[in-house]
This record gives sequence, structure tokens and C-alpha cells, in this order.
Amino acid sequence: MNWHRAFVIALFLLLPGPIVIVVAASFSSAGYIRFPPGALSLRWYAEFLSDPRWLEALLVSVSLALASALITTTVALMAALAAARSTGRLAALFETAVLAPLIFPHAALGMAMVALAAMFHVYGSFAGLLLAHCIITLPFAYRPISVSLRKMDATLEEAAMSLGSQPWNTFWRVTLPLLRPGIVTALLFTFIISFDEVTISMFLVGPEITTLPVGIYSYIQESGRPVVAAISSALVALTLILVLALERLVGLELFVEAERTR
Amino acid sequence: MATTTDRGMPGWRSALLLAPALVLLLLFLASVVQMVALSFGDGAGSGLSNYREFFARPDYVDTYLRTLQVSGLVTLFSILIGYPVAYGIWRYQGNRNLLMILVILPWLVSVVVRTYAWMVILGPRGVINEALRWLGVLEEPVKLMFNTTGVVIGLVHVLVPFMIFSVLSVLLHLDRRLEEASMSLGGNRLYTFVRVTLPLSLPGVIAGAMLIYLMSTGAIVTPLLLGGISERMIGTQIYQEVMQTFNYPKASTLAVLLLIGGVAAILPLQWLERRMGRWLGPEAGR
Repeated sequence: MNWHRAFVIALFLLLPGPIVIVVAASFSSAGYIRFPPGALSLRWYAEFLSDPRWLEALLVSVSLALASALITTTVALMAALAAARSTGRLAALFETAVLAPLIFPHAALGMAMVALAAMFHVYGSFAGLLLAHCIITLPFAYRPISVSLRKMDATLEEAAMSLGSQPWNTFWRVTLPLLRPGIVTALLFTFIISFDEVTISMFLVGPEITTLPVGIYSYIQESGRPVVAAISSALVALTLILVLALERLVGLELFVEAERTR
Repeated sequence: MATTTDRGMPGWRSALLLAPALVLLLLFLASVVQMVALSFGDGAGSGLSNYREFFARPDYVDTYLRTLQVSGLVTLFSILIGYPVAYGIWRYQGNRNLLMILVILPWLVSVVVRTYAWMVILGPRGVINEALRWLGVLEEPVKLMFNTTGVVIGLVHVLVPFMIFSVLSVLLHLDRRLEEASMSLGGNRLYTFVRVTLPLSLPGVIAGAMLIYLMSTGAIVTPLLLGGISERMIGTQIYQEVMQTFNYPKASTLAVLLLIGGVAAILPLQWLERRMGRWLGPEAGR
């Protein structure tokens, strides 16, 4: 049907369109941002990769994303194992609380994180950023794992147990492999959310530390040089690779299902 | 949802498994409590002095009202754009995964990158203005950013994926036979959509609208970059109070008012959503 075709094309232009424009403009050799890019060059990528400040910000962002992905996925897995199959009032309350940061307006969340970081004297440090990133990524780790736990056939665990498997062995050999889609989705999802996060992080950076997205924000405020387009494209490329990896490894179903607000 | 058996996990073991998550949640709670405490000032004078000061300043009240207005517009346009996209993905016969990636990727890419992209498109020497100049339509550039238009365009692009996911997740759980039944009883396509599909998917629209409204009241990056200094919103105001004047009590007051405004807008919608869920019964897709 033609209508569908037109729709697909419109979607193709509308949602990723602006990002495609930035990526295209990043290959321009002009000294100002231009689209269509005209003469092509990699000079902005060279500038990005030869500036230690950008590389440091990149390193901070990657370590932050890695640490928060590992921590929150572990925390969420443990919590989901205990809570996702219970039906009591307390379990429901717990789920609501876990998802609360998701619906918190970011400006208020940023201020709250500043208050928290000040309380523990970690303002403007990696620890402060990590603490905030763990709090904001927890719902993104919890949802896919709890969805895949609910979908899991509990009788498989019982079968293993009744055949004499010890609880720890059952968990390791049966439960964990069955939860793999949820865990992989949680890991990649939280990594991306943390890596691309800017609104909360910009409250918490200091003179000694900044993340790549916050660095981009500050740079746009000062200068119009297209190096920002090159860095943005690198960010887009990494995000794209992770989304494609997610699609390849476990598919996007859990991801979409986890996106339901409740 | 009832599972086939109770797993019979001992209480102490559940408590141990829940402990790390509870620590994170308690820290989150502590941060909000601390923020509320900060908004009540540092002990000198009455606790409400920050709030009194807020309502005595017409520029703050203006900013507050503008935030609600922009958020309303963003929510409205997100419904108008997001619903057809979700519906299209749902009806699409081909590889739905590719379409999903087209929605998911822009949604995950950093807000600052997406906002920068709109600066490249909407700026005075941006893609649109250059194209119009090249076509000879105008001599003077059209002002597309540093005003409400720019902020709304940017925020809709940033937030519309939430609407798409929200509507799509309801549609995907919808029983297709209901549509078929309507068609086979003589309802045409439009009639079926208006009387069957649309009402059944409304809970998804409401859930998405709530989320988008809340997110856009708290936006900072997009209004700062696309709105400029004149187009203040509560979010940008909070950020400036924290980063430029280090006035935590004032920023906390604004943040608390932001939360109150959000809750005030959400509660009636949530009530409506619950009512609707009851009317539509289990077919509503949850």
C-alpha cells in the first residue's frame, strides 16, 4: 500500500533526519557548520582526537557508563529476583519506588542530586556523578529484568530442583541463562542512558571533571566551530553500535516492553 | 500476576537481595528531602520566605506560566505526531524492527546532540534559512530559534519517542479481532478507527502525555540552547541559580514548585486513565 510507503519515508526523514544532518556536516572542510557539507575532510575528527581535553571527557563518559551499567544491572537483578514474583502490597510499592526517578522532571532531579552530592561531599567528582547515574539508570535496568523474569517459566527451575540440583547451581545453570535477554538489555540500555546523559550531569560536573555530552554543551555555548559536529557524530556512532548490538543479541522486544511507563 | 508456585524464598534472603536497591532508593529519597529542606531556607526568618519571594516577583511567575504553556504545546504536538507514527508502525507489514530502530536511535542519542542538530537546522544561517535564500523566497532570515517556536520544535523532537512507545505498547497488546469484528459488521476503516482502535489506545496516549508533560517542564538543555536568554523556563532558571549564583535554597524552591505543578497536572490525568481502564476492561491492553 502506498500510504505505508509514504509513512515510512516521512518517519525516516523526521526522526533521525536532524542527526543525519549533523553527521553529514561533520565531514565538511568549511570553518563553520554547513549543510550540505560541500568539500569533504576529516579535519574536525582530527581536531577532536588530538585534543586531550576531549579525550579525557570521553574517558570519563565511558568509565561512568561502564561503572553505572555494571552496578545498576547487578543491583536490579538482585532486587528483581526478590521482588518481581511477589504479589504483595510491599512488592508493588517497591516497584513504584524503583520507577520514580523515571517520571521526575530532570531539573528537579538535578537539584536533588546537587543536594545529595553536597551532603556526602562528593560534589564535582567522579563519585558524585556515579552516584547520580546509578540512581537515574536503576529503572532502566530493573524493567527489562523484571519483565523477563515474569515471562520465564518457573517450572524449569522446579524441574532442576526436583532432579536434585542445588539452589545455587540452579540459579547459575538455569535461572541466569533464562534471564540473559533481560540482563543484556539492562546492561546495554543503562550504558547508553548514562553515556548520553547530559541534563543531570551538567549539575554535577566541576572544574576537574566533565563528561563528553556536558563538554559538548559548554563548547556550543562558547564557540560555533564544527568540531562539535564531529564529537556528536562519534556519540551517535557509539549509540548506534550499541543499539544494533542489542538488536542482534537479544532483539528489541524486551526493550520496547520495558518502555511502558507502568 | 499469579505465578504457578511460590518460590518460598526465606525472608532474610529477599531482604539481602533487596538491600542494595533499597540503599539507592533511600539515597534518592534523602536527596529529595534535603532539597525540600533547603527550600525552606537556612533557619533565619520564616520557612516560607523563599516561596513568598517567588510569588512576589512577576518575572518568576511569568517564567512559571511560560513553562506550563510550552509544556502543554509540546505535549499536544507530541500526540499529533507520535500517534500516527505509532499507528503506522503497528500497521506496518514489513520488518518492524527497522522502524523501531529509527525511533529508538534518535531517542537514545544525547539530548545535547539532538538540540545541536536543531540549531544547525533552524539557525539564522541554518539549513532552512539557507534553502529559502537559495530558492529566492526571502532576503531576511526567518527567526526560527531563540524563541518559543524553536524550543517547542526541539522539545517535541526530543520527547515524541515517549509517545510513540507508549501508544505502540498499548496497540501491540490490542486484540486485532476487535477491528476485524467492526469491519465485518460493516464499519468502514475510519469508523473502525474512531470507534474501536482510538478509544482502546487512549490509555497509551494519556500515559505518554503525562510523561512528556513532566519531562518538558523539567527540560534545561533544549530551552537554553534553542530559546536563548529571553525564553526562560523553570528548568533553565534552576540551572542558573545553581551554577551561576550558587543559590541552592532558591533553586530548591523552584524545583519544589516544579514538582508541585507537575503533580497538579498529572493527578487528574491519572484519575482519567484509571477510569478509562475500567471502562475499557482488560482489552485496553494491560
